[in-house]
Amino acid sequence: MAPRKLFLYVAGQTPKSLAAIANLERICAEHLPGQYEVEVIDLRKNPKLAREHSIVAIPTLVRELPVPLRKLIGDLSDTHKVLVNLGIGSSA
Amino acid sequence: MTTASPSEKDLLIADLRHRLAEAEETLRAIRENEVDALVMRGSLADEIFTIGGDSESYRTFMEVMEPGAAALDGAGRVLYANSTLTRLLGKPLAQLQGKLLMDVLAADTGKQIEQLLRDACTARCTREVRFPRSGDIDLHFLASAIPLQVGTISGHAVTFSNVTDRVYNEAVEQSEHAARAVIDSANEAVLVCDRNGIITHANAASSIVYEGNRVGQAFAEIIPLDFHDTSGVLQADDMIDMVIAGTPLRGMEATAVNAPKVKDYLVSAAPLRVAGDRINGAVVTMVDLSHRKAAEEQQRLLMHELDHRVKNTLAMVASISARTAAKADTVEAFQKAFSGRIQALSATHNLLLRNSWSSLELRDIVRSELAPYVDDAADNVTIDGLNIAVAPRAAIAFGLIVHELTTNAVKYGALSQEGGHVAVRAVGGNQGRTAPFVVEWRESGGPRVAPLERKGFGHTVITRSLQYGGGGAEFDFDPAGLVCRISIPSEDFS
Repeated sequence: MAPRKLFLYVAGQTPKSLAAIANLERICAEHLPGQYEVEVIDLRKNPKLAREHSIVAIPTLVRELPVPLRKLIGDLSDTHKVLVNLGIGSSA
Repeated sequence: MTTASPSEKDLLIADLRHRLAEAEETLRAIRENEVDALVMRGSLADEIFTIGGDSESYRTFMEVMEPGAAALDGAGRVLYANSTLTRLLGKPLAQLQGKLLMDVLAADTGKQIEQLLRDACTARCTREVRFPRSGDIDLHFLASAIPLQVGTISGHAVTFSNVTDRVYNEAVEQSEHAARAVIDSANEAVLVCDRNGIITHANAASSIVYEGNRVGQAFAEIIPLDFHDTSGVLQADDMIDMVIAGTPLRGMEATAVNAPKVKDYLVSAAPLRVAGDRINGAVVTMVDLSHRKAAEEQQRLLMHELDHRVKNTLAMVASISARTAAKADTVEAFQKAFSGRIQALSATHNLLLRNSWSSLELRDIVRSELAPYVDDAADNVTIDGLNIAVAPRAAIAFGLIVHELTTNAVKYGALSQEGGHVAVRAVGGNQGRTAPFVVEWRESGGPRVAPLERKGFGHTVITRSLQYGGGGAEFDFDPAGLVCRISIPSEDFS
């Protein structure tokens, strides 16, 4: 099965953006190898892209599939919370 | 106006609830400081608003800093690193951002930085760290960390000031001190020359090579050397030139012709490399060979003496063998007489060996020769006034004479029967200082003595030994007992 896509919205190199990128890479490598493909979207370069997923706060992680769409705001330092929102965990 | 159907209403309510939940989650995240940027809807275009201000100012400031510098978040992730630090770490900024600084450093260095960040939770902390580099010298840095507020988060600013030159200069200085201490404490003369052969350092032991302080003068002029086995081709200045060209010289014997104290040396010289491959001069070591030379001379003399003594002894053994054979009637008689005489010779040799072939007391020789026949505690032999030392030559001859007298006394004389007595004593000669020293062998209480009818080898040995320097021996065939007076030349008394 082809990996599903995750969208991580960041704002250039703000501390939270950098932390979110590093945390998501680590979580995917450690817990979800090969399951997700991450696309980092820098809204500082192209703010218009925020409308695609109605992004308000940065950083925000978006999972489109499987439905329903899930959003997770913050630097993704809480691994358990990230896994639950990505559908890996008891409350998925 | 249209009215939504019940199912559309449910969907609308669900959508509104979802949006409300999302809005609440966004507000919560902002309130709980989980975001540091917001998307602002403008009338023309959307804009990004960074909470806590833009970070460009601190980046610009870091970039102009000479030391390597980085801004880290609370976990130690790199938010920004200036170009000095990215060059040092060998990675572009994009590969460093978001990574833990400790993870991009060597293991030990990473642990040191981790500890530094823990220590710098409220105030600046500094410590020295090392960046190992394979195939090259390690780099040393003074790492300094100070708490830093970046936007909405608390982290650290870390700087790395390169102190490699200082560390290496200190190390070089320390090693120079150590080298000087080693040279100064060496027992051998150690002299250091620069590339021009000028003496730059000489230890205290060098005072045996020349007088006064010769630092600043040319080695070859102060210490001309005559190298053995080089037929004069190699001179001191050639040696220095060869060493500075990179060829070390080891263990060459040479005579320092101008040296005031010791002339013979074992000379070694090696190129002096202070740092890297460049040769900065030469280190010359000169080991005093006078003791070794003296030992070699003594060994040569001993070998010569040994050769001389062995030849003498063999000649004496051949003579004893021939004369014993000439006088012996049977093979058994020869064997007995010959082995007794060789043992007598051997006994004196043993005594001489114990005294390192220096000298022996006459008393010890007499006791040694009598020992096989007479009990030490017996009262049939008295020795008097013979505690005087003689040279090996006289000791050997005297030993043979006493042996012949003893065997004769045991077979035919005073020691052949109960009640017999032998007195061995000094009877004159001023203790051997100016005239021959006379020892008298007087037997009594034995069978009646008559003059010899046939003179055997024993008689020959006794009368012919010590025939030098006024020495010799003579018999008195007193019917009451044999008397023999042995004169030992004065030159054999120490």
